[in-house]
Amino acid sequence: MIGFIRKDLAMIKSNFKLLAILTIVYLGMSLAGQMDISFILPFMCVMIMISTFSYDEFNNWNAYVVTFPNGRKNSVKAKYIATLLMIVIVTIITTILSFIISYVRTSTIDYINILEMTFGLIFGTLLVQTFMYPIIYKFGIEKGRIAIFIIVFGIVISGGLLSQFIDLSGVLNALSFLENYWVITIIILSVLLTYGSYRISLAIEMKKNF
Amino acid sequence: MMKNILEVNGLTKKYDNFELKNVSFNLPRGMIMGFIGENGAGKTTTIKSILDIIKDYSGKVKIFNLDYRSHEAEIKEEIGVVLDDMFFPEILTAQDIDNVMRGIYKNWDSNLFNNYLKDFDLPRNKQIKTLSKGMHKKLEIATALAHHPKLLILDEPTSGLDPVARSEVIDIFQDFIQNDDCSILFSTHITTDLEQIADYITFINDGEIVLSKTKDELLDEYGIVKCHEEEFNKISKKDYVKYKKNKCEYEVLVENKREFKKKYKFEVIDKMTLDDLMVLMIKGEK
Repeated sequence: MIGFIRKDLAMIKSNFKLLAILTIVYLGMSLAGQMDISFILPFMCVMIMISTFSYDEFNNWNAYVVTFPNGRKNSVKAKYIATLLMIVIVTIITTILSFIISYVRTSTIDYINILEMTFGLIFGTLLVQTFMYPIIYKFGIEKGRIAIFIIVFGIVISGGLLSQFIDLSGVLNALSFLENYWVITIIILSVLLTYGSYRISLAIEMKKNF
Repeated sequence: MMKNILEVNGLTKKYDNFELKNVSFNLPRGMIMGFIGENGAGKTTTIKSILDIIKDYSGKVKIFNLDYRSHEAEIKEEIGVVLDDMFFPEILTAQDIDNVMRGIYKNWDSNLFNNYLKDFDLPRNKQIKTLSKGMHKKLEIATALAHHPKLLILDEPTSGLDPVARSEVIDIFQDFIQNDDCSILFSTHITTDLEQIADYITFINDGEIVLSKTKDELLDEYGIVKCHEEEFNKISKKDYVKYKKNKCEYEVLVENKREFKKKYKFEVIDKMTLDDLMVLMIKGEK
């Protein structure tokens, strides 16, 4: 499996110069107060990982993978591990840059605020990726984009309709005790979502014809 | 010791407009099998089914005398594969491939891979997308060989190569087969390559295996009779395989040229090439 992780990291590395330039540009814009770097870098992380799917699909890598020992399983597992690695790296960079930006702009470092934001950032990035990956594995990158759009649209519409007819305040009140345990809640949710997403992606990949 | 390195039994797969019909053949250990047929005949579908790239087929595949489905991982450690249009993402380099494959195959041999890169004049640090089609193919072949496989499964490995590169690649395959434990399943429509190196020929047409024989048997026994219409009309249907009517003459494919010569007193029966066989089997009539 380590080989598959190396493959994704090598693909990301080949775009390293571009990523470094973009990070410097966004850092400059954040220092000037025109942008919040804490959102743009996680967004870049998502885009980078999605681009690895594009390269895989374009070169029929996924079919080639099947010829390797435990290829289907290890390639999916590696994609999730590479994603987690990327999230950790981006989170560390974002946190350090946020400290620098905070110090340069206000001469103080708001540790609590930045760390809370970092935590939310990990969860948000993970949420987006765990949602997208099974769809990409199922439909491929091109059709997957349309499927993601339709699913998000469906969730928003059905959520809106649901809130019209059902009073969700009771549910929200019942869950309000979680406010005191938000760190552990986010950790548990992240683990469950990632594992669930991985199992779905794996099930799709194991049955796929190329 | 096992006799066959690969046994394919009753492989069947249905699509809307194509069907693989009960495909069966055996590849003996230490041999090269040429798998021939026109485009769309089912060569790639058969290879993809053998490798489980295509699922939901019926039939049995045994490799190294092991059931493929229940021993997939250990079998794949010992197989090298070159597939048409399937490979590493093109932004990677040969160096990246070396690093990646070291983490995939237990027996990956970086020294051997580097030797192939040198032999093939392939750059280590250039992205795959900058390589010519021929270099790309040679990199695929080097990758397939560098973990000391016992079975090579090659789908059109020489397509896109110039004659010099093809000859280099054929030499590599001949070296590989020097080890009696190793075998090659070689799908191609460039039949001249097979006339040089194949021991067995398996011919697939419209999803069905038409014949599977040793090359020598095939080229020695089969022949082509060229004759005029009145001569052709005297030949019994059961004594030829297929015929093709050209502008001035008939080309008749016969299965046993010696017996045919004795029976019909034809002075000249031409030797058959694999190209002739394919053309007559596909385009000929009965």
